[in-house]
Amino acid sequence: MASTYTPTSESEKAVLAPEVRAPSRSFALADVILRFLLFASGLVAVVVMITSKQTELVPIPMPPFVRIPRSANFNHSPAFIYFVAALSVAGIYGLITTLISFFSLLKVARGSKLVFHFVIFDVLLLGIVAAATGSAGAVAYLGLKGNSHVQWRKICHVYGDFCKHIGSSVAVSLFGSIVLVLLILLSVYALSKRIPK
Amino acid sequence: MESQYKESNNIGGIESGGGDKEVKVANKRKTRGWDVVLRFLAVALSLAAAVVLGLDKQTKTVAVTLVPTLPPVNIPVVAKWHHLSAFVYFVVANAIACGHAAISLLLTLANKGTNKGISILIIILDLIMVALLFSGIGSALAIGLMGYEGNSHVRWPKVCNVFGKFCNQAAAAIGLSGATSLAFFLLVVLATFNLHKKH
Repeated sequence: MASTYTPTSESEKAVLAPEVRAPSRSFALADVILRFLLFASGLVAVVVMITSKQTELVPIPMPPFVRIPRSANFNHSPAFIYFVAALSVAGIYGLITTLISFFSLLKVARGSKLVFHFVIFDVLLLGIVAAATGSAGAVAYLGLKGNSHVQWRKICHVYGDFCKHIGSSVAVSLFGSIVLVLLILLSVYALSKRIPK
Repeated sequence: MESQYKESNNIGGIESGGGDKEVKVANKRKTRGWDVVLRFLAVALSLAAAVVLGLDKQTKTVAVTLVPTLPPVNIPVVAKWHHLSAFVYFVVANAIACGHAAISLLLTLANKGTNKGISILIIILDLIMVALLFSGIGSALAIGLMGYEGNSHVRWPKVCNVFGKFCNQAAAAIGLSGATSLAFFLLVVLATFNLHKKH
């Protein structure tokens, strides 16, 4: 790509290079690393969530008081299904934008238009991931503590491993949303400092 | 202040350069107008969401059979918003968003876009409000859905067939909060768009 530049832009670049290129490179590199972290956190959260199945022998409260095997799975609750869908979207978005960001890192000059479009989608995705974290966290907290007012009993003393998986998955998605906030702040900072990315 | 600047420019008689600057000033004023309108909407909507859920309370008499031989006893059962921790989080998140929107509205009106540090700080806090509001909506929606549907797998009974008004009021609060978060989202996009335009 760099070879297609006209000679004038080459010389311009040579003049601009010493003061402009260094911060531009470091910003683009931080962008790539954060986007990769977003991809990784989305992947880890989804994998941990869908491997959370646990089967336990549970006594049933009706007259033949026998213990029957009952399993706890993430798709028993709509909140967890939404969580998996949202984090999958975040992971795929992270992968795609990592590649885009990486290829524009190889190409030296990059318009601010790309940064602007990234910011809009990042904010949208931040909303989706934050809502997923909130909903899964609320249901997980209910499972951990129960609620006596509406007779929702706690289940985490029975399904311990299941709850550990859910809890770690929510923690990873919280990390993912913090990464998204940092990404947006980086882009806004780059836009405000007029660093050509 | 802007009008003064414009007038002095016209008095100075630099007509050719003045036209371009006038357009710029008008453009800036238009985006600032949207900024103020959106912030005002955010204050009103988040306050409404917090108050609607904060005043949510319903008392219902439920017939309970204590001893099978005796007739059922009527017991008043109260549903309050602070019985559910997700609703408490929702109300607190909306109250924080309301406070931030009010303070940033005053700062925007006082600042007039001259101090760059304050406007960057406002963008950062707007962003955090987007995350806070969306997580509050997610948690309240998950719990509200559990109230409507129940969960047969872990035998959590549904409660909205008993407390209908309570559930509807919670749903209204969630809708209002959704509109607030949309306003904050537009604020962040608008601010980024302005930075992008200046580029």
